[in-house]
Amino acid sequence: MARRIVVVGGGAAGMGAAGGVKAVDPDCQVTVYTGFDDVAYSPCGIPYVHGKEIDSFERLFLASKQAYVDAGIDVHYNAEVTEVDVSRKVVSVAGEGEVSWDTLVLATGFNYADPGVPGGGLGGLYYVKDIREAIEWDKVLDTVKSAVVVEASPLGVEMVTALAHRGIETHLVDPSPWPMSEVADPDIMEPVEESWRELGVTTHFNTTLKAFRGDDRVEAVQTSEGEIKVDLAVICTHKEPNNALGVAAGLKVGSTGGFIVDERMATSAPGVYAAGDCTEIPNGLTGVPLQGLTGSHAYAQGKTAGINAAGGSRAYSAVYVPWGTAAGKWIIGGASLGETTATALGIPYVVGTAQGISRARYYPGVKPVKVKLLAEPGSLRLLGAQMVGGEGIKERADFLAVAIKFGLTLHDLASMENVYSPAIGALNEPIVVAAQSGVDASRKS
Amino acid sequence: MAFSRWLRSNAEHYLLISAQDRIAHQHGARSPNPPRGLREFFWLRIFAPVYRALPWPLRHKIMLTMPGSHRRQWAAPPRAHGSAVPPRLRAHESN
Repeated sequence: MARRIVVVGGGAAGMGAAGGVKAVDPDCQVTVYTGFDDVAYSPCGIPYVHGKEIDSFERLFLASKQAYVDAGIDVHYNAEVTEVDVSRKVVSVAGEGEVSWDTLVLATGFNYADPGVPGGGLGGLYYVKDIREAIEWDKVLDTVKSAVVVEASPLGVEMVTALAHRGIETHLVDPSPWPMSEVADPDIMEPVEESWRELGVTTHFNTTLKAFRGDDRVEAVQTSEGEIKVDLAVICTHKEPNNALGVAAGLKVGSTGGFIVDERMATSAPGVYAAGDCTEIPNGLTGVPLQGLTGSHAYAQGKTAGINAAGGSRAYSAVYVPWGTAAGKWIIGGASLGETTATALGIPYVVGTAQGISRARYYPGVKPVKVKLLAEPGSLRLLGAQMVGGEGIKERADFLAVAIKFGLTLHDLASMENVYSPAIGALNEPIVVAAQSGVDASRKS
Repeated sequence: MAFSRWLRSNAEHYLLISAQDRIAHQHGARSPNPPRGLREFFWLRIFAPVYRALPWPLRHKIMLTMPGSHRRQWAAPPRAHGSAVPPRLRAHESN
């Protein structure tokens, strides 16, 4: 009899899991339960449609519903899984009753942290998540004159940029001193803030949200520094693991609140796997678990969970977290530790920085690229990287994450070869120059 | 909320604020607000300096005693072993 696998959640992790199952054993019965109208679209693309860089939400869909039918993946839309019983191996689905499984994959994703202030029930508070709601909110944006983005998380940074591109008077309220301050360093974010000023964005850092004000809809936000009149508030608080279903079933969670998993994405309950934002994954350098990574992490974790749930064998690795996004007129990115996070952990480091260019200096479209590398004093093994520039940030972040994973040193990077071709790369690769700068700095210290 | 989650959440939050203050001074950037109230005073003026005074191996050991995914099985990163081209085919080694 075919193995029956239930997947709870239809995001990147859930659909990755379903695909992983079918890749191992096409005869497996896979049922995916999602609380939404759709699966297989890119929620990460939503800010770019709001900002008009992408002309249609349709472009965000990756596959049709029929494609999953054809692949033998049974997706139940608008389906709420209300309970998981690990001992009886059943899930309870609203309107369907109990559904049995041989293996279960929880890919329940995240919830935005509650801002925890009065007025949270008002209209006009936008939580960016579901594409159908985003389509409706996009119509609202046509009527909005001013908006506030609450917290400069990665999504917040993207939404500030998107609203400003759209010509909306945009405010950003954040309790920290600079944007994405939990990840990025101030020298990396300074050009972003400058470009926001050019776009007309008003930033309110070191400012705490106190309340949403209004009768039925938000009309203003009260902050520690005064009131800001707005027509809309976009809530971009940090992502908390949506773990309620699994916790109620007795699954163990770690210090982040994410499900504890191993390299097979197996949870503490036999036959139950988990993937994506509802889990926590150890950082490859420090061993400290992290929760709330990127869509590409969620998808790869889902694949791993699905393959193992179907009887295959795949191991996921500890993470070195390459990251990046568009912010204002710049691209920012990095991998593993920055100066702020290394300092918070108390990890000593030396720094090498370089201000370089993305193409030959004479080639049209050449853009600045700033690279900052952190390395362990003495061995000069790479600990992290942060960058800001006009292009080529993503590729460098991906490469530097692998360099950290394999223990490369600043000496290795200072002598690395690089592509030189005027249209795509400069003679002096900024990574090489930054690494040499770090080597020189370590000799002086 | 479990104690480990409460401790991690607070320690992470306030150690980041403390680090932002130090990094802001180094870069001439905007500093976070100074502590207000007993709670912030404890975490920023007592916990953070004590944490920093402990040697990294001890801090790391304490962190890793917390419950979490790191205490389950994770493969070590793969390492390259020699050249992908067999030595007999490599010209500079056959000379």
